[in-house]
Amino acid sequence: MAIMRKGLKRNKPPMISKAIIGLLQEKLGARNVLHEKEDLLTLGYDATPGVHHLPQVVVYPKTTEEVISAMEIACREGLPIVPRGSGTGLSGGSVPVRGGMVLGLTRMNRILEIDEENLTATAEAGVITLDLFNAVAARGLFYPPDPGSQKVSTLGGNVAENAGGLRGLKYGVTRDYVMALKGVLPDLSVISTGGKSVKDVAGYGFKDLLVGSEGTLGIVTEITVKLVPPPRDKRTFLAYFDDVRTAGEAVSRIIAAKIIPSTMEIMDRATINCVEDYVKIGLPRQMAALLLIEVDGHPAPVAEEAEGVRTILEQVNAAEIHLARDASQAADLAAARRTALSALARVSPTTLLEDATVPRSRLAETFSEIERLTEKYRLKVGTFGHAGDGNLHPTVLCDERDHDEMARAHAFYNDLYEKVLSWGGTVSGEHGIGLAKKEYLARQIGEGGVRVMKRIKNAFDPEGVLNPGKIFDEGDPETRQHVEEGFRVKP
Amino acid sequence: MRVIQKPGSMWRKAFVSSPETLGNFKSKDAPGYKDMLQCMRCGFCLPTCPTYALTGRERSNPRGRVALARAVAEKKLEFTRGVREEAFFCLDCRACTTACPSGVKAGEIMEVCRSQSHAFYPPGAMGNAFRTFILEKMLVSPERLEKSMIPTRLYQRLGLQWLVRHLGVLKLGPDWMEKAEGMLPPLEKPLRPQLPEMLSARGEKRGRIGFFLGCVMTLIYPHVSRQTVRVLAHQGFDVITPKAAKCCGAPHLSEGDRQTARELALFNLELFLAEDVDAIVTDCAGCGAALKEYEEILEGQADREKLALFRSKVRDVSEFLGEAGLRTEDLREVRKTVTYHEPCHLCHAQGISAQPRELLKAVPGVELREMSEASWCCGSAATWGLKFSEESRQVLDRKLGNVQSTGAEILATANPGCHLQLAWGVNRSGMSQEVLHVMEVLGQAVPD
Repeated sequence: MAIMRKGLKRNKPPMISKAIIGLLQEKLGARNVLHEKEDLLTLGYDATPGVHHLPQVVVYPKTTEEVISAMEIACREGLPIVPRGSGTGLSGGSVPVRGGMVLGLTRMNRILEIDEENLTATAEAGVITLDLFNAVAARGLFYPPDPGSQKVSTLGGNVAENAGGLRGLKYGVTRDYVMALKGVLPDLSVISTGGKSVKDVAGYGFKDLLVGSEGTLGIVTEITVKLVPPPRDKRTFLAYFDDVRTAGEAVSRIIAAKIIPSTMEIMDRATINCVEDYVKIGLPRQMAALLLIEVDGHPAPVAEEAEGVRTILEQVNAAEIHLARDASQAADLAAARRTALSALARVSPTTLLEDATVPRSRLAETFSEIERLTEKYRLKVGTFGHAGDGNLHPTVLCDERDHDEMARAHAFYNDLYEKVLSWGGTVSGEHGIGLAKKEYLARQIGEGGVRVMKRIKNAFDPEGVLNPGKIFDEGDPETRQHVEEGFRVKP
Repeated sequence: MRVIQKPGSMWRKAFVSSPETLGNFKSKDAPGYKDMLQCMRCGFCLPTCPTYALTGRERSNPRGRVALARAVAEKKLEFTRGVREEAFFCLDCRACTTACPSGVKAGEIMEVCRSQSHAFYPPGAMGNAFRTFILEKMLVSPERLEKSMIPTRLYQRLGLQWLVRHLGVLKLGPDWMEKAEGMLPPLEKPLRPQLPEMLSARGEKRGRIGFFLGCVMTLIYPHVSRQTVRVLAHQGFDVITPKAAKCCGAPHLSEGDRQTARELALFNLELFLAEDVDAIVTDCAGCGAALKEYEEILEGQADREKLALFRSKVRDVSEFLGEAGLRTEDLREVRKTVTYHEPCHLCHAQGISAQPRELLKAVPGVELREMSEASWCCGSAATWGLKFSEESRQVLDRKLGNVQSTGAEILATANPGCHLQLAWGVNRSGMSQEVLHVMEVLGQAVPD
């Protein structure tokens, strides 16, 4: 009860003065400053279940200069600053847990340059990931990172969370493509780090610090990414399994055979059924698991690798092995896989998703562990993920109004992470720490690791104005992930 | 995963004040709380929403709109004017329903919010009288509607007023009257009195169907529906057109008058079930979508079996012909390039996307050229285009650009609202496309 009252007090946004709103409107234009309760209510969440907090004001700068103006006002007024892209994050990174100013970057959405001589592209932070992919594809180039939400997510958000995707196995994640960043630090200085040079070892790698920093070190406004030539050929397999562990074994054996597919995705039965409910493309509802495997590259090695994959699938006794007819069928399958998380949300009001990642040799064991814990805690769990990366998304399908069930879900993840960490895995493969995984971070990197991270944070942001309450667990209940808290908006 | 527990009973109480009401909603026709919880905020709907593309505002996209409704349900927000604005700013194009992997129906939630909005913000006396007149008097009686339109001028004015049926509910765009005048095609006599009760099948008879003639079709597009019944008869179907049929109820649902919608639905249900027909067919996507919702809006108010039977018979005409299979033996050649605009109420509300294209391709001589974003709303959206005329123009321009790139001679569609908006846009932009209903294209191929 005491906590709840404190929460109410803390979350009720103190009035922001009309003068400040007016000043922001003057600097950024009236339509780029939102402060009505309907706007504040809809800009305090992302795709993470159960977290929702109100900012006091939301601004949409269109240039780096406007970002500086807005940040200057926020710093003067003591408003925390929380960057936001499209709000598709899965760890609560863009949720303004301590209120303040949400800095929406979606109106900074120009692709500034596609440099075909250096194979780079430079874009503002609010460019939609798929838009960049399409723009460079039109020039015969390839930007590989493809998070599940690529149609919606922004490049800036991808950088902030170091987003992965379906192609991570062969092509890596967002970090592997970031060559240069421009952004604003809390002291309002503009930082430009990295460049188009392929090699750069001048001092500390600031850009690598900023990638994945979840908006806690600086506000990234411009991003230069590396592009690669697109693969000339690809083959897509769909393999079905009677036992999810066999699928895990197939993945480990394909890697052990020194074949690196571009994609190796897994869905279990619950996921298959939810996805099929939505896409209706004839996925086999009775199967325990399916693997979507894609090999790409030059035609000769692709043919050889495809043969290798097929052989292994036969050796492990996959129930069925299908080769995609053509590129469009392959694209349909990948698109279907991208809907997995949202499709699972059909089943229950609340979908709790995790991001456990293990060394690939542990995949089959991880599946056994998930099965065991599902039974132990009497939960409904759907699992899908980037099997080739050892990155699984066990998703508990529950109802946030059922407190007993939520407690069991919590225990499920607790046990699972213990195992994952003991195997040398990580608590987050690609979604970031944000609010959702703060308590697990110290378990993974130790108190010493957390202390160093905090010193880095202090060096960039001594006043703590940037995205407070994220990554580090200060024991403040308000900034933990929790069921929708009791804020109220006065009419 | 960390979840802080709240004292259960307290928390529940905060949400639901009594079993009959949902948070700050009025008890009558409140949206379902579960339907809102279903949204997991993944944002997959964002790139499909025309009003989000226009404004870039979260509250003006499906995820934001559902969040607003949820906030009202959870008593975090009153049913504010802002909520009402968003309920009416939503085009109800249902593109988000198609895009949503979780099965959230943001458009339907907004439709219910429109109905709520009348309870919270009753229109002024004038607006109310006018709205009542249009929704409860004119629209429920086809005869009254048609008779009132005999003098052409009055006919046109009433037609216009019919289009802007909820004057006084929201402010119309500044130039709505001018636009509305400009949108109306030259008007013929209404079709309903002219159609025979039954048109007999030609050639080998394949069945007997009930034709649902929509209000806008009979009043503004009589020549279109004349082709529809002609095509159906040519395809071997006896076409019964019950003259007593009333408005399908779509305008009432769209304007939030669920009560009148139910009365109309009940009447049409009985009327068509009394006819011994194999299918109930319409050429208006808006009517089709509403007829298919009868099962839902009449839940608990009509016999379940009857509702299921009715639902099992309703077909859009392209869906019906797709299932029956088009007889093409004696079709004449129509040497035209055609592009197809998908009405939201066909592709998103009814999931009918391939069938109209298949029909067009089946016409000898027709070359179908796909436009990009064929399923993106044209900006008409019932009265939306008149309320938000500037926004509507921007949505329309995007559509016209895609039409123009195809270089097609004919712009085909399958819904009168789209038809009006597209024809107006094509004309205003000096484009050369002829705007036709899919059935008109097919009609050109049917021998006399």
